[in-house]
Amino acid sequence: MKARDAIDVLARHRGEAVAVCALGMAANGWWAATKSEDSFYMHGAMGFAASFALGLALSLPQVPVWLINADGSLCMNLGCLLTEASQAASNLKHFVVANGVYQTVGGLPMVNDGRTDYAAMARAAGFQRARTIETLDDLEQQLPAIAAEDGPSLTVLRVEPETGFLHTPPMTYEGPEMKYRFGRALERRFGIEVFGPQGY
Amino acid sequence: MDVTARIHEQLTKCGIKIAASLPDDWVAPLIERIAADNQIRHVRVAREAEAIAICSGAFFGGVRSVALMGATGLLTCTGELATLNLRHQIPVFLIVSQRGSIDDHRIYQEVQGRRTLPLLQAYDFPYHIVDRPDEVSSIPDAFETCRMQKRPFVLFLTRRLVKGEGTA
Repeated sequence: MKARDAIDVLARHRGEAVAVCALGMAANGWWAATKSEDSFYMHGAMGFAASFALGLALSLPQVPVWLINADGSLCMNLGCLLTEASQAASNLKHFVVANGVYQTVGGLPMVNDGRTDYAAMARAAGFQRARTIETLDDLEQQLPAIAAEDGPSLTVLRVEPETGFLHTPPMTYEGPEMKYRFGRALERRFGIEVFGPQGY
Repeated sequence: MDVTARIHEQLTKCGIKIAASLPDDWVAPLIERIAADNQIRHVRVAREAEAIAICSGAFFGGVRSVALMGATGLLTCTGELATLNLRHQIPVFLIVSQRGSIDDHRIYQEVQGRRTLPLLQAYDFPYHIVDRPDEVSSIPDAFETCRMQKRPFVLFLTRRLVKGEGTA
């Protein structure tokens, strides 16, 4: 399966979930599929979308939070699996789009090329639910149950590496504008106060 | 009231509901005190930058948070503090041991002592040094300044504050 197709399937099944996306392929693909402002698209801090999503999930325990991670980012912060397992946030679903390469920078192979089993690592860290999905049909079939189950869960989407640089364009806003669009979207959806009465 | 109780009291006054931490020995008593408070969700992390990102995510959930760590851990977070918090102007409030001071006679802390503050100045991260128990009451003002400045804010705890007079 191709990354973009897998992300499209996730987007169709997201329901009410708020998404946090790792930088690069995951963020750009999610933006292309959803154009959603109630999603946070990392532009840096590679590896730490996972921790950001955990903080959000702990803060909004009634809100489903989907982390759209990538294997390159996960490997930057493998300790996140321990932290997620220990916090046991039932509203957090962790998806890893795994293509085995650094797609954004030209498709160079990742460390430990093809040998890493991220789902097994998550189980070893204490996740009760972790699996790898290899085909679009399986993803379509399994995703409703994954969306409905209690988190934390980790679902690896094994996708084909693609050659060359990433062509999916990034979201059309960044920096402080992303902060305010995302924060205001959550304020509207959930009636919370992200920014104070003076706007900061 | 000992100093960790005072700091804990001020964090409660700030409305802190999430604390993410990785200890060094100076901040460990404070971390364990917060961990015992069932009004604050305590998140033990495997790397300090996780604490930064957890607090950043909590900000968007409308929840006030604090990241606790040692000065060495702070130095490991500078990339994430720049590319997440500076880029998006996300406030994150850090409480950090000010290691490498003249009364901190641990050779492995020496480098941090002479470089940490210049590094923060280069990043334009505001900070405030709390050196005496009666200064702990400045924490709510520091927290509000962090929100207003929309960037990382480091509240340093000195050795004299957390360990008392003398050297080690």
